[in-house]
Amino acid sequence: MTKKKILLAEDNSTLSLLLKFRLEKEGYELLIAKDGNEAISFIISENPDLILTDIMMPFVSGLEVISHLRLKLNLDTPVIVFSSAGQEEMVLKAFNLGANDFMAKPFSPNELVIRVKRLLM
Amino acid sequence: MINSQYSIDYFNELPLIIKVVWVFSFVLFLTIILLTIYLKIFRSYLRKKDQEKVKFKTEYEGLLVTYLYSSSDPRKLNPEQEAIILQLQNSLKSASERKIIISVLYNLMNEVSGEMSESIKTFYYKTGLIDYALAKLKNKNWYTIAKGIGELTRFNIVEAHDHISKFIKHPRNEVRNATQLYLVNLFRFNGLHFLDDLNVPLSEWVQVQLLETLQKFDDQQICNIQPWLKSTNNTVILFALKLAQIYNQFEVKDSLIELLSHSNKEIRVKAIDVLSHLYGIEAKEILKTNFNELSLEEQISFFGLLEKLVVPSDEPFVEKHLFHKNFEIQLLALKILKSINVDKFKWLSNSAKTNYNSEMIEYVNNI
Repeated sequence: MTKKKILLAEDNSTLSLLLKFRLEKEGYELLIAKDGNEAISFIISENPDLILTDIMMPFVSGLEVISHLRLKLNLDTPVIVFSSAGQEEMVLKAFNLGANDFMAKPFSPNELVIRVKRLLM
Repeated sequence: MINSQYSIDYFNELPLIIKVVWVFSFVLFLTIILLTIYLKIFRSYLRKKDQEKVKFKTEYEGLLVTYLYSSSDPRKLNPEQEAIILQLQNSLKSASERKIIISVLYNLMNEVSGEMSESIKTFYYKTGLIDYALAKLKNKNWYTIAKGIGELTRFNIVEAHDHISKFIKHPRNEVRNATQLYLVNLFRFNGLHFLDDLNVPLSEWVQVQLLETLQKFDDQQICNIQPWLKSTNNTVILFALKLAQIYNQFEVKDSLIELLSHSNKEIRVKAIDVLSHLYGIEAKEILKTNFNELSLEEQISFFGLLEKLVVPSDEPFVEKHLFHKNFEIQLLALKILKSINVDKFKWLSNSAKTNYNSEMIEYVNNI
């Protein structure tokens, strides 16, 4: 059985590594993007089954990634957005652009795994 | 040889000013060459340092993630975790590596919650990083102390309370602020008791930081703010007024009314804002009665309140102040009149061409 691909767009390398470790343990294949530009390249080349993206990232933000995914590439890949405190407005924008779920930082990686499983069912 | 002799002779025959320019140009040229070489060495040193940092960061991130996933109980260490801690304890002896480990830990601490955050805290204790932070508190430099307090705040080290609380009256503002933020971050509203006997100003920036910290907690059960409203420190009163407004402290009404006669104008104006926010119409009536005793700023602030809470029965009061000496009050009174009695406003517009500011009337008419 082929592993489901998850794209993680996150500029915090420690968090990326932690989530990679956790999600790979659950049997997923993780693709790590350090910024929005890399995330878009991965979406085009790898066509992931799920996207986890931070809102604030260098070069291209998480919102722009979702916008590109939904409006330019016309893909309905599920998206979970990570937001920090004080980014409530951004979260609303993310939902308007087509995000499926969001998690406020700090979050529990175990909770993330449950949400990922739910979206990939 | 002949050429160089010719050059020396030529130089010796030159006028003094030209000689000076030549020497100066030579020195400048030499300096540029030396600085270029220095810059090149310095840049390669920095690049090497950066590469080392990235290498260490990647290594420590790997170790930390392995540590965090090695055990399901955040308080109990298994042999693999103990080995990682032992390995890191050696690296901690170097200040630069310690800094990298702390930044890696802090990067993660901000992003994850629950058991994982507990494990990070255990890691902080077991590696001995806490001892380095506590040692910073004994340093004679204020900035090292402030850095130590900041670090202990970020890692939520409650046990450092006794070590840190003694800095609440430190002569340096930065140390005091770090201490205040530590207390509020860790002990929430109970941490605000430093306000009881604070006799130095609490800057606006610190007030904002404290309020922001308090708002991120789920438990919004505020303590009694009454003593702070009666403080001799004006900045403490202003901060307490902000708390009263944000946390809807209806029980401090009497203290708020007392503040209307405070010697500080800023406090009086803020008290009007808070009273209008909490009690609306009731506050309006109190202030309307004492209107003439208020300062100009307070009167403007009161008209701001009246604009929001005006009722038709306020018309005579508003009308009385249509020709107030202050422009802002005049404008507000006109706007209020328009909102409660358009006919009277129109009548005023038509009859006032000679004795009222026509531009103001036109402006209010177009709103």
